[in-house]
Amino acid sequence: MRRVYGYMMMLLNRNLVFLYLVFALSLGYLITAINLGSPLSDGRVEPSFFPILLGLFSVTFSAILVFREFASIKRSSQLAEDDSSVGKANYSPLWVMLSIFIYIMAFQVVGYFLSSFLFVLSIIVIFSSLDKIIQKTIISLIIAALGYLVFEQMFGVRLPALWG
Amino acid sequence: MEFISLVGGSFAMLLDPLILVYVVAGFLIGTIFASIPGLTATLALALLLPLTYSLDVTTALMACASIYMAGMTGGSITATTINIPGAPSSMMTALDGYPMQLQGKGALALGHAALGSMVGGALGAILLIAIAPFVAEASLLVKTTGKFSLLAFAIVVIVIAQRGNMVKAGMAACIGLMLSTIGLDAMEPITRFTFGVADLTAGIDLMPVIIGTFAISEILMQASLAVDSNKTAEALSKVTIRRRDFIPPLSAIREIGVVCYVKSSLIGYFVGTLPGAGGSMGSFLAYAETVRTSSNPESFGKGNPKGIAASESANNAVCGGALVPMLTFGIPGDPITAIMLGVLVINGIQPGPQLMSGQADLIAPMLASLVFSALVLIPLTLFLLGPYFIKIVSIRKDVLYGVIALLAVVGSYVATYSTFQMIMALVMGVLAYYLRKDGFPVITLLLGFILGPNLEEFLRRSLALSNGNPLTFFTNLDSLFFIILTLIFVYFLAIKKPLKSPVSDG
Repeated sequence: MRRVYGYMMMLLNRNLVFLYLVFALSLGYLITAINLGSPLSDGRVEPSFFPILLGLFSVTFSAILVFREFASIKRSSQLAEDDSSVGKANYSPLWVMLSIFIYIMAFQVVGYFLSSFLFVLSIIVIFSSLDKIIQKTIISLIIAALGYLVFEQMFGVRLPALWG
Repeated sequence: MEFISLVGGSFAMLLDPLILVYVVAGFLIGTIFASIPGLTATLALALLLPLTYSLDVTTALMACASIYMAGMTGGSITATTINIPGAPSSMMTALDGYPMQLQGKGALALGHAALGSMVGGALGAILLIAIAPFVAEASLLVKTTGKFSLLAFAIVVIVIAQRGNMVKAGMAACIGLMLSTIGLDAMEPITRFTFGVADLTAGIDLMPVIIGTFAISEILMQASLAVDSNKTAEALSKVTIRRRDFIPPLSAIREIGVVCYVKSSLIGYFVGTLPGAGGSMGSFLAYAETVRTSSNPESFGKGNPKGIAASESANNAVCGGALVPMLTFGIPGDPITAIMLGVLVINGIQPGPQLMSGQADLIAPMLASLVFSALVLIPLTLFLLGPYFIKIVSIRKDVLYGVIALLAVVGSYVATYSTFQMIMALVMGVLAYYLRKDGFPVITLLLGFILGPNLEEFLRRSLALSNGNPLTFFTNLDSLFFIILTLIFVYFLAIKKPLKSPVSDG
């Protein structure tokens, strides 16, 4: 039972999960490419030909990567150590992703200035802390204003309404 | 000869104050980005790419050329002063630069680095100006099947250049190629892989791919690293540099020797012509060669200026070399030339064999800017701003990433004024971030994405012309030439044992 559990944990190893995703995407791409139709018809190359070829390469590469990673995890047998060595998780990249997503969603609705000011402030806080927040707020306001000058005034980019 | 005189005449364009401002600003931005560990000139160019929309294409290309040259030079500043190369191409510079800094000769080391960069950059650019027209003429002989084999050669070389990481490089290239197949088919009116999303019908734009891959993923990488910037700032605060110490004495230059500068520049130039090789490989090979042929090899890694000269001459000469395949075949050799290719594409200019003959007037000013950056801006920037670089490099990282994030996201909006492109940039950034975290080289993804449409088109055309017979790739001489070349490169880069590091404990 313990062996089965260990094996399951190996299959769900952090490094493998991303490779599973790459494999699944490659497989999905190949299946979609096959559904595009026959790759050859009357000696003529059809639009599905190149994607099918590419899908085959991708599935092969991703399968090799999954097997290689799995073999390396199995060989090293450091599963327990790996688990214990996992330090404090760093969620900063996820916060950055979320900030960018919210900024994009708010950009045309709220307008350039307010959304950009809040976005810059959030990035500054993610990369530092909430200390000296007034100073960081002023810096964010200046950066948003400079951004406006560079994009709209210098390079003639039409940004969404300045104040929303 | 006509092209050389065209380049010569283009120097006059630098007398236009506005163009000069863009070229100098590009050089300064490139130097600052390259000198700050964690930032690169590629990132600078990716961030500035959207702004080129509002610029005249010639001016944009001239600014790109100066950023490129600065990117290869700037990395030596922190490599020498605090032993952290600002750019990967300056890794070999740190081997001798930092020991010189410890000996109290940091400014002199920077002077040697600048001189090497100046010579290498200028020689690389001059070789490019002299050779590119002939290569462009020869490239006209390459027909459809040959073009496919050439593009396949480029992708294979980019993948196998990532030694020890080839499967991941191959996978990343496949992801880039897969992304390039999204949208309307180039030869028949059907859409592929759009899954009903109307915005994907025209395919994925190059701009969000570049911004996502190089700017957004970099912000995410830096957020995940949580680098203690205080340590870097603390190390830098101890460094003092005086302007008069920058100028290397003539005796030291003589000791390094003209042969070292020229040989390293030639190595860098030819390495640059290979897709995917880049500045780090150029400087590594030149450094290894200098150590190998030196009468005093044990002095390297302990503060020998010859090591700095070899490394910096080579990595700056790479600039000229990498532009040869980009300008003549439309094959970018590294991320910066890929973005420069993007500048051409977004301005409706098709890179390839016809570019040098048909639109030489667009290319010539860019090459003039490359020479100008090497000969004038490198020494001038070091002399005038050298003592202040340390302060610039110590800039607060939180503020810096706030600015970069704003430029990246708003920049992705500029191309089409659509939220969809911003979302695409975020998606590409997240994808590139996880790929990088897992050790996939994203440069192969970008090159796969750029070369994909032509690769497919030439494959299908070749097979159509031969009634589906794949032997056409072996019976056409131009194609056979590139297949043999691919095999030679596979042997030397993937099968033969690699070179050992010249300084074992460096």
